[in-house]
Amino acid sequence: MKREHALLVLYLAAVIVTTVVHDPLSLGAGLVGLLLLAGRKAARLLARCLRVILVFNLAVSLGYLVLAHVHGFSPWETLLLINLRVLVLTLMSFLFIARVNLFRALDFSPTLTWLLGLAYSQALGFQRVHADFRLALSSRSIVRPGLRDRYRSSAAAAAWFMDKALATARESAHALRARGFFGD
Amino acid sequence: MHLPDGFLSPQTYLPAYALCAGLWWLGLRRLKAQLDVDTLPRLAVLTALAFVLMMLAMPLPGGSTVHAAGIALLAVNFGVWTAFLAISLVLAMQALLFGMGGITALAVNALAMGLMGSVAAWLAWHGLRSVSEVAALILAGWVSVALPALLIALILGIQPAIAHDAAGRPLFFPFDLSVTLPAVMIPHVLVGLGEGLLTWLGTATLQRLQARHAA
Amino acid sequence: MIKLAGVSHRYNGSAALVDVSLEVAAGEKVVLLGANGTGKSTLLKILDGLIRPDRGLYTYKGEAIDPRRLRDPRLNRRFRAEVALLFQNPDAMLFNPTVYDEIAFGPRQLGLPDVDDRVRRWAERMRLTPQLERLPFSLSGGEKQKLALAALLAVGPRLLLLDEPAAALDPRSTGWLIDFLAELSITVITTTHNLSLAPELGSRALVLGEDHRLIHDGPIEDFLADQEKLLAANLVHSHRHRHGELEHRHFHTHDWE
Repeated sequence: MKREHALLVLYLAAVIVTTVVHDPLSLGAGLVGLLLLAGRKAARLLARCLRVILVFNLAVSLGYLVLAHVHGFSPWETLLLINLRVLVLTLMSFLFIARVNLFRALDFSPTLTWLLGLAYSQALGFQRVHADFRLALSSRSIVRPGLRDRYRSSAAAAAWFMDKALATARESAHALRARGFFGD
Repeated sequence: MHLPDGFLSPQTYLPAYALCAGLWWLGLRRLKAQLDVDTLPRLAVLTALAFVLMMLAMPLPGGSTVHAAGIALLAVNFGVWTAFLAISLVLAMQALLFGMGGITALAVNALAMGLMGSVAAWLAWHGLRSVSEVAALILAGWVSVALPALLIALILGIQPAIAHDAAGRPLFFPFDLSVTLPAVMIPHVLVGLGEGLLTWLGTATLQRLQARHAA
Repeated sequence: MIKLAGVSHRYNGSAALVDVSLEVAAGEKVVLLGANGTGKSTLLKILDGLIRPDRGLYTYKGEAIDPRRLRDPRLNRRFRAEVALLFQNPDAMLFNPTVYDEIAFGPRQLGLPDVDDRVRRWAERMRLTPQLERLPFSLSGGEKQKLALAALLAVGPRLLLLDEPAAALDPRSTGWLIDFLAELSITVITTTHNLSLAPELGSRALVLGEDHRLIHDGPIEDFLADQEKLLAANLVHSHRHRHGELEHRHFHTHDWE
């Protein structure tokens, strides 16, 4: 079994284990283990994790604190367990992304690898352009853009992406045909 | 609307994955059966489109924004299976490539948004289009957000009941249906209106563009 | 007018700019050179107050500028009325329903009294008058770029930032662009990776090396004569080719990329 396949299986197994362990101490040990595994990048990965989970976890935690206060029970063990679990899972995923080449890990299915590859490279390009649409509106707005202008900017972006998507689909199809993918 | 990791018990997400795996296999086989030059590249590109549409902020009065999903847009214009597979791929990309989390919730999200959302949108569109195309598209958009929200509210709300420790304390998600139903449904009922708008105007734009590209 | 002091920035985990310090005076025409990926776009976005650099300070006419400070509506108004950025992808800048509205957007926001005048003047200058009622999306690539420029200039900025304006243009349009920029009397900073074009775009060259540092700040002729720096910046290459019968190698660029 190739290294990447093994790591994928290991990652998925670790994810499942994290959801059947309910002891905060063990999860804490897992967290420490992951941070050690991350090495020099540990601090940066941790910061990124926290940024991703912050809003939702804060909302859930605060809500539960209120519930506990109203009904008169102690929420702390539950909050610790839940938040720790979310943190460990997210960190695990980030570490996987940083260390493992997903395309090699998935190469048992050429179709899947190809689909994800094309989708991913397109998506990256779109991400950059999306950022540009947003920045361009800021750049051109001498006064704070109103609802209509913000809407128009989003609409222009959506139309641009749809146009590019249609054009790219056609081009890729032609390229595939030219390389004899469809044997016709 | 994405459910992040860690809030679903294995009793929930493992069966969901099993179900999804079967549906993915089925969907891919169907798509490959009607394989022409366009099918696979179009799926990949629509995935990227769905991905970026989810990033697009739809402005609301008052300065805040809400994010669209484009599920109904895909379902109405490209079919339920394509929409389901594209949304599933987006979720996989987000979890495994873009570092947005969600590997445990992937199957549930795919079933709720990708499958249920697409089917609901498709039914609304075909059910109402003979009466009014515009109304049908807006309704398609609305249900493609509202129904998945209901499903997710239900799934989240039963977590405390199906996964708790000996003392009755929740192990994954700490709120029951009395909280999740209003908390999830109310904002999504509103988001659904924006999605309806996107589906209607987006479809018009898409059809115009498709005509241009076919020429 | 512009001052960058010790500006460093990382983007997506890797370095985009490292310890860049520079000053540009009003009226200068500056070329920002560098191979792809050396941080030119990032630098322009910092100068337009769209990105806050991880380290260092950016001041425009003595005032510190970054996205957070620009939340102050008065500062934003002062700054954005004077500084304009043409994005590398002009499509990202266009969102109004007609070409007319696109050019009118900025002047309307400023509440200028002569909006119609300005729009028609700039449309005329860019030869877009017949397209005034058209949807910007339907224009050709070159026309979109001219439209974006018109929309920026209609506001009357003092500083114009151009991100690779010639990259997607055909030779005739590039010639037009060079002439056009030469006529402008405002401060202009243009990025390019095209060496043969660079001397036409400005008299002073700021060059970003592959280490994302400023490796040259001075007259452009000095830079073009310095083979070592040219190599370090990855702006020239060497490969086998012929002049006449003899096959050989030397450092060169190709005139029209």
